[in-house]
Amino acid sequence: MASIQLQTVSKAFGSNVYGVRDVDLTIEDGEFICFLGPSGCGKSTTLRMIAGLEDVTSGSILIGDKDMTRVAPRDRNVAVVFQSYALYPHMTVRQNMEFGLKMRGLEPARRDERIDTVSEILGLTPYLNRKPAALSGGQRQRVALGRAMVREPDVFLMDEPLSNLDAKLRAEMRLELIKLHRRLGRTTIFVTHDQVEAMTMGDRICIMRDGHLVQVGKPLEVYANPVDTFVAQFLASPAMNLLDAELLDDTDGGKVVVSAFGRFPLSPTQAKAYEAARGRKLLVGLRPEDIHEEAGPDRVAFHAEIVAVEALGTENIVVFTVAGREYTARLGRHYIPAVGTAVPLHADPRQLHLFDAETTRAYPRPSFEPHSGKEV
Amino acid sequence: MRKAVSHLGLIFFSAVVLLPILWVLRTSLVPEHLSYSSEILPELTFDNYLALFTTKHFGNNYVNSILVAVGSVVVAMPLACTTGYAFARFRTSGRAGRFAVLATQMLPPVALALPTFMFYRTVGLTNSLTGLTLVYAALNLPFLTWILMGFFESVPSDLEGAAMTDGATAWGAFWRIVLPVAAPGIAAAAVLGFILSWNEFLFALILGGPRTATVPVALASLQTSNGVEIAKVSAGVSLAILPLMIASRFIQRYLVQGLSFGSVK
Repeated sequence: MASIQLQTVSKAFGSNVYGVRDVDLTIEDGEFICFLGPSGCGKSTTLRMIAGLEDVTSGSILIGDKDMTRVAPRDRNVAVVFQSYALYPHMTVRQNMEFGLKMRGLEPARRDERIDTVSEILGLTPYLNRKPAALSGGQRQRVALGRAMVREPDVFLMDEPLSNLDAKLRAEMRLELIKLHRRLGRTTIFVTHDQVEAMTMGDRICIMRDGHLVQVGKPLEVYANPVDTFVAQFLASPAMNLLDAELLDDTDGGKVVVSAFGRFPLSPTQAKAYEAARGRKLLVGLRPEDIHEEAGPDRVAFHAEIVAVEALGTENIVVFTVAGREYTARLGRHYIPAVGTAVPLHADPRQLHLFDAETTRAYPRPSFEPHSGKEV
Repeated sequence: MRKAVSHLGLIFFSAVVLLPILWVLRTSLVPEHLSYSSEILPELTFDNYLALFTTKHFGNNYVNSILVAVGSVVVAMPLACTTGYAFARFRTSGRAGRFAVLATQMLPPVALALPTFMFYRTVGLTNSLTGLTLVYAALNLPFLTWILMGFFESVPSDLEGAAMTDGATAWGAFWRIVLPVAAPGIAAAAVLGFILSWNEFLFALILGGPRTATVPVALASLQTSNGVEIAKVSAGVSLAILPLMIASRFIQRYLVQGLSFGSVK
């Protein structure tokens, strides 16, 4: 068991191209942390540096308080589960799992004991004598996981291990991994570009962009308080709607945010929190789930022209235009507006996010209970 | 109908490839004076084969060819594997280095033959199987390196990553994981190396002597001032292609898999 510290870690490819730049992060012992970001953001490179599979250009990596920056991968006691599974194709499942134990000089009896235990947990016992080519995608994924587990490493490093699975299997494995982490309690870094995986699996998520660490926090905290428009838009699908806006004084002495959706009166707490936004060019952010078909107390009504409706059964994703720009709403399953019609929709001003249009940075929101949306 | 046309086409091309070989086989089995007869098999005899071994020392030539071809593969393959792997995995001398390897193949062999002969004469390696083995290994090395580079590039680098985090050294990952995974490609490259050495004539003629003559040199020597002993040449050629046919029979699967392995990357 071990904590991990990344101290100003950078990785340069060539003289001036940085894959990862000045990443500072402490991962607690036993924590499950998700690295989330789009392709090429540096999350896999960071993981590979922790594994020792990529050289660190500058900075230090500490695992369990020991400086591992220049230590060979085999001496770090980490196990990697690759996106491609990277099973040794010429070896059987048993030999795949045994390889790491053999390399570490474990006696045959103890090797068998560990393989049998892990195979039992993962349901791999019937397949131990098969080669990877004779296994399904899900079974291969389990073998990759089993190969990591038998080693009993200090740290599990998982590089998009679920991305090759179909949606159903992915959901099942997500749950399996959460259960396994609870059972083993090992420090785990899980790289993904899937927001759902990051939100549901991680104790904390780490959002990366262009080699930089943009935000670290508990999933619901990051969801409720994205630090900038990138995080706000990346962390959910459909992405947050962003509208040009201004913060003005209202006639009643309060504050109001004016945007294409209308005038959003701010509560005194919000007005105080967003004081610094006065006079700036702003973007107001509204998540698709904070736009409703029904009117409600304090909700602001606006007219939307329906462009497309994706009926998912459990809900409807509705694309609409206001003043010529497209936005998205996540509406109830029974509300299916006709494409081409104009309908009233309603936005909740208490859920709005404000960003500076130039810097794209968020103005800190007043505290919310994430589930109820109530100010506290 | 379409199937029949495609089959006719296949039969035609098969005939183009096979008929000369079958005619060589036929000529090797008829007496010398009937070699040019238009009859398919006027008289069946194994005298040409017997004569090759009894009067022409073809057995020695055959053994020489096997020793030199196998030897050159044994010497070249470990070097080609490690060099090809280095080019495939590391940024070793960049793209220029890779093409430099291939560029050596563009030299006409005769440009290398004379300097090699001068050097070999100085160090006493002329007329020796060791000398011929080494020169074949050196000549085949760039080609084998280039081919193996493609195979190694097709092996996912995650496998080495997995092996190294599992506890293997970089060399251990190469030896225990990469080489077994690339085995079909390595087998294909080894067979190609064997064929190149087996068929080589120029260096064998210039660097060799009567004691070390290989099959191609022996076949050429049947072309005398009294004419070409076509029946014996045919017998020799039939024997010369025998190991290649046996090898291709066993490694055909690997050869096809191997050649297409690197190309799709």
